[in-house]
Amino acid sequence: MSFDPSFMWTAFLSLFKALPTTLFITIISVVAGFVIGTVVALARLYRIPVLAQIASAYVTFVRGTPMLMHLLLIYFGLPILIDSIAGALGSSFTSASIPLLAFACIAFSITAGAYMSEVVRAGILAVDKGQIEAAHAVGMTTPQALRRIVFPQALAVSLPNLSNSVIGMLHGSTLAYTISVIEINAQAQIVAADNWKYFEAYLAAALLFWGLTVLIERASGWLEYRLNSFQRGGAA
Amino acid sequence: MSRRFDIHYVLDFIPKLLAYLNITLLIVGSSIALGLLIGLLVALPRLYHVPGLQRLSRIYVSFFRGTPILIQLFLVYYGLPEVLGWLHIDVSRIAVLYFVILTYALNSGAFISEMIRGAVEAVDKGQVEAAQSIGMSGYQTFRRIILPQALGISVPLFGNLVIGNLKDTSLAFTLGVMEMTGRSQTLGTATQHFIETYIALSLIYFVISVLLERVFVWLERYLNQYAGKEQTGRQQRMARRWQTRLIPISDRGGKQG
Repeated sequence: MSFDPSFMWTAFLSLFKALPTTLFITIISVVAGFVIGTVVALARLYRIPVLAQIASAYVTFVRGTPMLMHLLLIYFGLPILIDSIAGALGSSFTSASIPLLAFACIAFSITAGAYMSEVVRAGILAVDKGQIEAAHAVGMTTPQALRRIVFPQALAVSLPNLSNSVIGMLHGSTLAYTISVIEINAQAQIVAADNWKYFEAYLAAALLFWGLTVLIERASGWLEYRLNSFQRGGAA
Repeated sequence: MSRRFDIHYVLDFIPKLLAYLNITLLIVGSSIALGLLIGLLVALPRLYHVPGLQRLSRIYVSFFRGTPILIQLFLVYYGLPEVLGWLHIDVSRIAVLYFVILTYALNSGAFISEMIRGAVEAVDKGQVEAAQSIGMSGYQTFRRIILPQALGISVPLFGNLVIGNLKDTSLAFTLGVMEMTGRSQTLGTATQHFIETYIALSLIYFVISVLLERVFVWLERYLNQYAGKEQTGRQQRMARRWQTRLIPISDRGGKQG
């Protein structure tokens, strides 16, 4: 069993087959997490009674437990819940018809939502209070002021944090292999076991993730530069 | 699998899982201790701009922050024996636990080195100049002026790293280490009450995380008791920027801080 660099290329090609699954989980959980996060952050910032308490309990719980727990709790808990509801309603729907990928997406969206809510909250708080007051002064309603004035600025401020969350979710998507979703990590395991070349397969997977991470970092750096262009001086 | 949910199992499982808490804490404690050492060694070349080594440490940090910890676990577990085999060192008799600790140490070393770099660079340059102007040597300046301030600045970040590390140890079961999550798997399989096990396990992780957070908040207050108002404001902004392990420290953040 000696190191075989040429096998890494074979492993790469095979890992690319699983790349869409990884990206799908990442994108779904980031997008859904951003929506959940925004709702949660607004509920906490505007201190909406009941909702705000539920929101902060949710954020505290999710941030205090490993991501693996969220996945396993959803994977084992949701079917029981769905089946008992379906049973009570007399519906023929069973949890067995839900694809495994859906469990991963739901669980990771819940995880991402809690982390994103902190990002969104920090971003909104970073926008000067005078901005929203000025928006009110020219007659905008609060939703208008949020959408037109606060959100664009908050987005630019929180972009580095946002890209870090995306990277975190990309890395977290590897956990999906524990519920037998074939993403990059699971694929690496399959290729490794088939050829008895574990080191090469995982090295290839690591390089793939490294490349993706650097790509996300670069993209966010470029986007940050573009979004903050309104703040730069000089003739434009 | 779909047996009825029974809350008694949750209460029953908590002490059974707590029996394995010491393994989890052993992994966290030793990997953080080792990670501090690695982090310091990796941060030094970049703080003092050592050519060559500086690039090496940058690649190290980028790799360990740019790949999932799960992949790193497998990579070290399968890769290290092979690499050491080239040097004719046989590690096949070493327990899995040490590989796990090493992986978490290497991983947190990368994050800790960024933390150290950020904290040292966040200390006001005027402080160093003032120390030198009253005749302190380089070592004295570091020991008496930079270190106490950098410690205070890095505590919130360090707390997040430790809590992140604790949560990451739940992945050690993938290599078959019997820590709390590993035990929960066997309990779940034995009783077929998976959901109750995971609820019990989540509760334990949650309580430990909250306790750790309390400790670090107290430590932060203790270490920053002499810091001025302006400085604590800056530190709070830094702490907010680097919320958790899942949201890793960015290079840009380090420079801005």
